[in-house]
Amino acid sequence: MRLGMVIDLKRCMGCHGCQMSCKAEHGTPPGIFFARLIKREEGHYPTARQILLPVLCNHCSDAPCVEVCPTGASHYAEHGIVDIDPELCVGCRSCMMACPYNNRYFNSDQRNYFGEAGPTPYEVARSARHRESVVMKCDFCKDRRAEGKDPACVANCAAKGRFFGDLDDPTSIVSKLIKDRSGFTLHPEAGTNPNVYYLAP
Amino acid sequence: MNGYDQLIDDLRSDYRPQREWGTGRGVLLVIGHFFVGVAGGTWLLSTLYGITAGLVTAYVLGGLGGIVHLMFLGRPEIAFKMMRNVRTSWVSRGFVGLSMFLLGGGVYLAILLLSLSGPWDGIKMFAQTVAMLGTFTIIGYMGFAYTASKAIPYWHSPLHPALYIAYAVRGGVAALLVIAAATGTTVDVSLLQLWITSSVLATLFFVFEIQGAWTSGNIAAKWSARDVLSGRLAMTFYGGTLAIGLLVPVLLLISSAERPPVIMALIGIASAAGDFFMKLTTVKAGVYLPLVLPSRRRPAMS
Repeated sequence: MRLGMVIDLKRCMGCHGCQMSCKAEHGTPPGIFFARLIKREEGHYPTARQILLPVLCNHCSDAPCVEVCPTGASHYAEHGIVDIDPELCVGCRSCMMACPYNNRYFNSDQRNYFGEAGPTPYEVARSARHRESVVMKCDFCKDRRAEGKDPACVANCAAKGRFFGDLDDPTSIVSKLIKDRSGFTLHPEAGTNPNVYYLAP
Repeated sequence: MNGYDQLIDDLRSDYRPQREWGTGRGVLLVIGHFFVGVAGGTWLLSTLYGITAGLVTAYVLGGLGGIVHLMFLGRPEIAFKMMRNVRTSWVSRGFVGLSMFLLGGGVYLAILLLSLSGPWDGIKMFAQTVAMLGTFTIIGYMGFAYTASKAIPYWHSPLHPALYIAYAVRGGVAALLVIAAATGTTVDVSLLQLWITSSVLATLFFVFEIQGAWTSGNIAAKWSARDVLSGRLAMTFYGGTLAIGLLVPVLLLISSAERPPVIMALIGIASAAGDFFMKLTTVKAGVYLPLVLPSRRRPAMS
């Protein structure tokens, strides 16, 4: 079993719902987003268009972050998911330099949204569990998956543009979408074999 | 950087310099690499030229480099766990190399300075071998650690390890020039020839790397080259790496045929300062590969 995600760029309307639901699910500190939405413009008037690109950890099958990690904190967990063991992470950040998708964050110090006012009860409850001085990233919502749920960004996508499933199963929705609509990955030249696929806008 | 600025930075789809190595506390990593590089070069050349003061200096620099590396880490208290992934990680190999250098070098220096002999000769030779293996590792690992960084195209170059090795040798010569001046010994002319050779090689590697990034690199590599030559790092590059690190030593070298100790020391200090600025420039020039849709999208599965 190899878990993966398909993101349909034709359906994405740039609502940032994935970004916010991920934030709410994981309670990540300020500035840290396991899922982001990148917006850019391509072309020139009158043929200019806006490209919306939701990104997250690609859970690569040949992950450079796992290779360069000196302690083995970055590792392949079950079903091909790339995870970080915060107890082993030494905070050297070499994985951040190795990830061609820039989806790792260093949780440098305890920060909160309201500065000197201190952390809110919500932040205490949600953010304080994250270990400081280590690298963090998406884990395809490990806790939700344990309850049989889809990752938060998939469940909360308003346009139903995200799909999650077993890439090794040819009958799964993700495998079918990739086959039928020629799914592609970001930076294929990096040779990382990502498990997050995109469908053309 | 506060959370808001960090967010705005991370939502950029184009130019995005790396901020973890070389900025804020990340400067400690550059300082650590500088110390360790000079330590490796100094130990190697001191062994070849038989300079005990050089060995001691190299050991102290190596120790300082190790401490500064630990200060950079998020959790230095578990640094020993960095030995776990020697199979694929250059950072792990560097940690093992520096440990070998400090352990082997420490034992070797203790026996040498205490003039122990007889049964100690075998231990001395073993310790020297361990220290030398550590020396080769610490000279080489830094360049490879950068080359393994797939997110930073400017570093992801086969020339990077060669550049760092050349700079380690140059740093070693610089340290020995200062030591010679401090101890009042005559500088071996071959040492100056080695400084010239390593400087020429380092400059060539640097030029080739910039040229490669500029002409055949991707957009992120071009941004890095632009930053070095005419952007946010131009001052550090032209002032530190070129003027202080190359121009000043060359002018000092050709200005005095007799080469008094003070001139040698100045050449060494300027050269070492240039090495530091080169490393700072190179690390800070790292720009992340932009996240864009591929222009020609090949189906990922058939």
